[in-house]
Amino acid sequence: MKKIGKIFIGLSLALLVLWLVPWVYRIVTLESYSTPFTLYSCVVHDFTSLDRSDARNFRFIDRKGNVYGDEVQPLFYHSILASKGAFPDSLEGIPVTEEMVEHNSVILSAEPKEFNVKKAPVYLLMESVPVRLELHDPEDAFVVRKNGLAVYRMADNTLLEEKTGRFNAALSAEGFRFPANLVAGKPSHHKEYDEGYLLTDAEGKLFHLKQVDGEPVVRHFPAADSLDLRQILITEFTNRATLGYLVDRDNRLHMLRPDGTVIPTEVRYDPAREDLLVVGDLFYYTVKTSDADGEHFFALRSDDFSLVDRMDRPYDFEEEVNLCKYVFPCRLSFTSSDDGWVKPRFSDFSWIGLVVDLLVAVFIIAWRWRRKNTNN
Amino acid sequence: MNRMILYKEWLKTRWFLLAAFLVLAAGTFYMGLSLSKTVQFNGADKLWEVLVSKETVLLETLKYLPLAVGGLLAVVQFFPETARKRLKLTLHLPYPQGRMMAMMYGYGLAALTILFLLQATVLTVSLRHYFVTELVVRIMVTAAVWYLAGYAAYIWVAAVCLEPTWRMRVVVIVLLAALVRLLFLSGVPESYNGILPWLVLYVLCGQVLIFHSVARFKEGLQD
Repeated sequence: MKKIGKIFIGLSLALLVLWLVPWVYRIVTLESYSTPFTLYSCVVHDFTSLDRSDARNFRFIDRKGNVYGDEVQPLFYHSILASKGAFPDSLEGIPVTEEMVEHNSVILSAEPKEFNVKKAPVYLLMESVPVRLELHDPEDAFVVRKNGLAVYRMADNTLLEEKTGRFNAALSAEGFRFPANLVAGKPSHHKEYDEGYLLTDAEGKLFHLKQVDGEPVVRHFPAADSLDLRQILITEFTNRATLGYLVDRDNRLHMLRPDGTVIPTEVRYDPAREDLLVVGDLFYYTVKTSDADGEHFFALRSDDFSLVDRMDRPYDFEEEVNLCKYVFPCRLSFTSSDDGWVKPRFSDFSWIGLVVDLLVAVFIIAWRWRRKNTNN
Repeated sequence: MNRMILYKEWLKTRWFLLAAFLVLAAGTFYMGLSLSKTVQFNGADKLWEVLVSKETVLLETLKYLPLAVGGLLAVVQFFPETARKRLKLTLHLPYPQGRMMAMMYGYGLAALTILFLLQATVLTVSLRHYFVTELVVRIMVTAAVWYLAGYAAYIWVAAVCLEPTWRMRVVVIVLLAALVRLLFLSGVPESYNGILPWLVLYVLCGQVLIFHSVARFKEGLQD
């Protein structure tokens, strides 16, 4: 038992060293790195990035090195320009007003951690057409179960059997096969209107479910039937240009229009690995996806989401000398900024570290063997 | 003989177990009261909203209680054995030493299990009053890691108490600190679901530390 205890302690210490020493090293040597805010400009028709070397003056630089002020992004900085009386009367040959700009401003962001977590199969059910027009906090919630949804009144944790029956019947009538798979919604009153949930059924077909006057309103989107969806983001933007963004198994981003049409885009986005930032205006959407290697920018037309331009920006920080790789065969960590799981993750495998460790182990064994023989 | 050993352990720990029961009961009562007051003032729907949209399981106030109970039980049970040199006498009784130790810490593990089960049952019943089964399961699966920390603290602290040398005590304490850090690394609900069976296995394997310490004690190692 003593030998087993020694092995247990030895293995535990080895794992502890692989976990803590590289972690401490990273903390000590960590340096901040940020990238400039970048948008596609409807004025110069190029990506323009905020010049970080002159942050006080808000200068923007395009890919050719030309320098501009706020006027290069008149739709994003419209309030500032309007306060200076510099907001243009027309853009792209179209007369524009501040109201038009505000109405068509779109911002959406998503991080892998939002999707790579275990979520409760419970979804708050808002009233999409409130009597007093203003959205209010949900009173009911539905639970996704194998054989259907179960609607509960949250105040007293009571199963609303009749309502449950109506919701399941409405879904079944549209051809929904239980259980529900992906469910996406934003049940919050901090928005202008509510579109309920976009959800896929057991066969991967896309449906829209919302509550209107306490009754279920369900709609099937046949246009999305051919897509093998892996993620859905509901948009609920002021301009109602889209109902949601769909990501298929090939990581292609599709736009779902409120009329049920699905528009494929040239954007590739892996929701499990990449951050997503969409900043849209009257004329163009700038879509940024970023992973551990760099950032990818896509400029899409706002009307048909066709690709106008794209730009890749790999991170340009220099690889620091990683002393740990000369000492350890790998690095052990348990958490990641990309997901909510605690699990062992071995990374940064190093042959040099493995050889060094083996040599040290051989040296220690030989030394102990020699000492033992000398004592005998 | 088995009954005598268990009786000896009972005499050592009965007051502590009563105190631990009262502390856990007080914590559970406080949690229940806190929940009911929140429901009274803000409505249960607010709690549902928080549970569904935030990284919380509402019971975070109780998360370190099992750890404290496990660690202190080990101190109460095993510290007198070494401090008053009783262990030497215990190991000389006409009874298999391995079985003796297994009976002793088995008693402790059983006592912890009863305490933790009682608290978990009361919590589950209370939570079920306010939430659907799916949310209650989510809360209790998340809390399972906190209870595991209680068992880990018991086993590792027992090994520290029985260990005759400070050098090895420090090693075991460092391992316990790392294990506790790992068990409380994330506050995301159900984030340990995948690794939990392996952590349970690791903590159970930690029992060899107790036998390792006893073997070293028997060898006469000391500072």
